[in-house]
Amino acid sequence: MSDWTELFERFRQKDRQALARLLSHATQSEGAEIIRTQITPRPTGSVIALTGNGGVGKSSLVGRIAERLRKDGIQVAVLACDPESPYTGGALLGDRIRMSPLASDPGLFIRSVATSGGRQAVAENLDLMCQLLLEYGFEIVLIETVGAGQADVAVRELADILVLLVQPETGDELQWEKAGLLEVADVVVVNKADLPGADTVMAQLQGQLNLPGCRPVPIFKVSATQGEGLDELWRAVQELRTEN
Amino acid sequence: MSLRLDSMNETDRPQRIVLAKIGLDGHDRGIKVVARGLRDHGFHVIYAGLWQAPEAVVQAVADEDADWLGISILSGAHMTLLPDLLNLLRQQGSGNVKVMVGGIIPEADIQKLQQLGVTGVFGPGTPMEDIVEFLRERR
Repeated sequence: MSDWTELFERFRQKDRQALARLLSHATQSEGAEIIRTQITPRPTGSVIALTGNGGVGKSSLVGRIAERLRKDGIQVAVLACDPESPYTGGALLGDRIRMSPLASDPGLFIRSVATSGGRQAVAENLDLMCQLLLEYGFEIVLIETVGAGQADVAVRELADILVLLVQPETGDELQWEKAGLLEVADVVVVNKADLPGADTVMAQLQGQLNLPGCRPVPIFKVSATQGEGLDELWRAVQELRTEN
Repeated sequence: MSLRLDSMNETDRPQRIVLAKIGLDGHDRGIKVVARGLRDHGFHVIYAGLWQAPEAVVQAVADEDADWLGISILSGAHMTLLPDLLNLLRQQGSGNVKVMVGGIIPEADIQKLQQLGVTGVFGPGTPMEDIVEFLRERR
């Protein structure tokens, strides 16, 4: 690769490897600066982010959603964030493995993104990576955050639609009164609904989130592994996309 | 466009390596040890795991903009699966991605694999440091 001009030229001609290389440059501050001068600030398309604790089922649900989008013929890209070691800078990026049945479909682009600590569960310059993917021609970008805590709200700025995942046996009813991530979500998913306790969490959330005068937040029971509840969830996300 | 080329210098970027097992081989202890070891030495390891089709691995390598591909095979099918994989890599334009292989590879096959384009072969008992040094020297 001789220089940036050639790289951008190849990118504009829909060279997938040029896209992959630009995404690498976007993770470096100097590269990101240059890319920002070259691309459309807000290309068309939607960015949908999934966030929640580590192990709540984000990768699996992203995989199911991507599968559904591909059935509808939609070109979809996934940015899967996983944490970087605070000691060595190394990372084990293991989200791809949960999306593997789709892994050789050219209408799907999966990129694993190492995320350094203190970044509120999303990688630096992730906004730029979304822009690159949308400009390339993907219609929907799915962001999967690093396992996120109650206060990791930075992803709100990146996403058109923010889906928060919780699972059964997550705290008592006061848990849902707390400020933070729960406040900024557009949709809440009780994942692993095949496990006991899902109905209790559903009832608590319905009681606490949608009080009179509050912004209504749809809540869905989903089992990513069993494939249950996905239709209802996706319908709600579609409605929000139209509103946006 | 007055863009500085020196900003494409990538020497401080952690090396990215896709680790995968291809074919019907369920032994993933070794590849997990290597994944963890490389993580602990500062590599970005994209772990694709068991039972991958060569086509899926090749797409992962391209989309992840990987520097390396590490394949673990303990089933004895290496001389069948690896030539196909290496061909696919070249066809897709990822022929510059370096390939290392681990697992049960008989001595007699190592040279054949290297002739096909495999950069390094590591058998059981290889110290982690040897693999790390090998990858760093060939950055």
